[in-house]
Amino acid sequence: MSRFQRIQNIVIGVGMLLAAGCLIVEPEDGCVYILLLLAASLLIRGVSQLIYYFTMARCMVGGKLILFIGAAFLDIGLFTLSLANESGFFVTLYLIGFHAFAGAVNILRSLEAMRYKSVHWKSNMLQGIVSILMLVASLFFAKDETMLVYLYSIGLIYSACVRIASAFKRSAVVFIQ
Amino acid sequence: MQIDFHYYATYCAAYLAGYSHEECLAICYSAQFVDCCTRTLLSTINGPDSAATTQLKLEMMDARTDILGLQDITRIWASFHFLPRDLHADIKKGAHVYKEKYRMICGPNGDLLVKTVNLAKEKSLQAVGLAMHVLADTWAHQYFAGTPSQVINNTDYWFYELIPDEENPTDPETGSKNFTERRVTFRHNPVEKDDPEKGLYVGTIYQLQESSVMGLGHGRAGHLPDYSFMRYKYLPAWNDYKEIIKDNPSDYYKAFCQMVYAMKYLRGEYETFETERYDTKAVSPYEEEIRAILEKRQLDSSAEWKALGERLSGEEIPDFDEKRYCGEYADAKGEDKVSTFLGNFFSAALAQKGMVTDQIFKSGNLLAGYSVEYRKSKLLGIRDFILFVEQELKKRRSEAQS
Repeated sequence: MSRFQRIQNIVIGVGMLLAAGCLIVEPEDGCVYILLLLAASLLIRGVSQLIYYFTMARCMVGGKLILFIGAAFLDIGLFTLSLANESGFFVTLYLIGFHAFAGAVNILRSLEAMRYKSVHWKSNMLQGIVSILMLVASLFFAKDETMLVYLYSIGLIYSACVRIASAFKRSAVVFIQ
Repeated sequence: MQIDFHYYATYCAAYLAGYSHEECLAICYSAQFVDCCTRTLLSTINGPDSAATTQLKLEMMDARTDILGLQDITRIWASFHFLPRDLHADIKKGAHVYKEKYRMICGPNGDLLVKTVNLAKEKSLQAVGLAMHVLADTWAHQYFAGTPSQVINNTDYWFYELIPDEENPTDPETGSKNFTERRVTFRHNPVEKDDPEKGLYVGTIYQLQESSVMGLGHGRAGHLPDYSFMRYKYLPAWNDYKEIIKDNPSDYYKAFCQMVYAMKYLRGEYETFETERYDTKAVSPYEEEIRAILEKRQLDSSAEWKALGERLSGEEIPDFDEKRYCGEYADAKGEDKVSTFLGNFFSAALAQKGMVTDQIFKSGNLLAGYSVEYRKSKLLGIRDFILFVEQELKKRRSEAQS
């Protein structure tokens, strides 16, 4: 990882922590802000797909598809922006989808590690259980927008910590002639 | 390639190159162990994390796809399974990021293969086995890259298997072989088994993200590159809509002959290792039988290769047991671990990974991450590699003293 990438990871991580902090302190209208974040991420995704097309995918067999997908993401991002009144429903859907996938993968990894008698199965199982608990909590608090904001913020804090930690990780391969 | 080639065929090649039965067993075990040495396995014996030479399916699913995660994946797959053919390939299309990926495409007889074989010179038998795995895979995995990339590794519906025509095997006028084309259907459930009779094979699912692990290596083409009998034609994502015909029986035969030549070089029969050289002379007495094994439509040819190997040496070849040397390594204390069977394997793996990463880095390509020289900076280096380098230096010093 280059020095710039390390700094970039730290800056983005701190930004995520600040955003999570703001959401926790001011949970009112939090779902609207989260929806704005999701819309922004869709718009960014659309733009990045277009950049991907012009730098790489245009050289690939069937690469035109990426161009259409980029345009579609931009369109969905703009559409999401217009749904501020239904923000709670979309935030719930996002939380359920995210934690269901993460939980399933972690538990499967844990079972596999257990089969290989690896010591890492406990941490994977713990992460899987936490994800499933978050999923259950998202379903349970589906109508409570404040709790949904808290649940989203917890996920944001975790991602921020992982990102910041990765910036300090040793990453270069050492080589001698 | 699979256990049939990496274990049993490598045994046969090693024996034809002049190694003894015991040496052949160490070489072929190491060649096959490259497909078993995962982080999960390493964690069970307290092995060095960075010596991982492959990843389990679920390790892949769990792998981070940020820049560090992708570099880690690339180091593993490009170093051991998809050795790049030409890191300086001159292409006139795409941005710099595209060119970096294009240059990672695997193929035989590249400069890195020479460096790989030379790295095993005067090293342990484990290093020889590891190098033979890498060499063999350059034939099986050519046209795919050991880094997650849709723009290089993607395939589409234009994918046909070429099945030898049993009724009219050859064209009476030209003498060339006749084939029937059959469209390949890829299923995406990893639990299902490949069915060559019906033309149903398991492949990874198409993902939109350029760096999705589904686009790593030949995942999109399933295990077709790994079957010795397989012939197919398809449109690789990188080849400007030009079709490629892959003839595995022919490629695998060349791989076998090149392994014999490479191991003869490692035993000191030749001064230098040259690309495009194959020891067809040593293999010729067995050519018909080997070609028959390679052509047989079956998913695993272990029984046939094992029979050939046992006939060559007159000794029994035990079945591959990935845990055979794990106990010895786990029980060894401190520095004694280095001299165990797996200790030597891990040293060879770290050396190979270090060499390939260094070459990719020096070509101006950051897909496999950064490489630093030990004397310039210890602080940036991954701890496993620092320890490996220090052990190597210590060994060299003691050899120089003696």
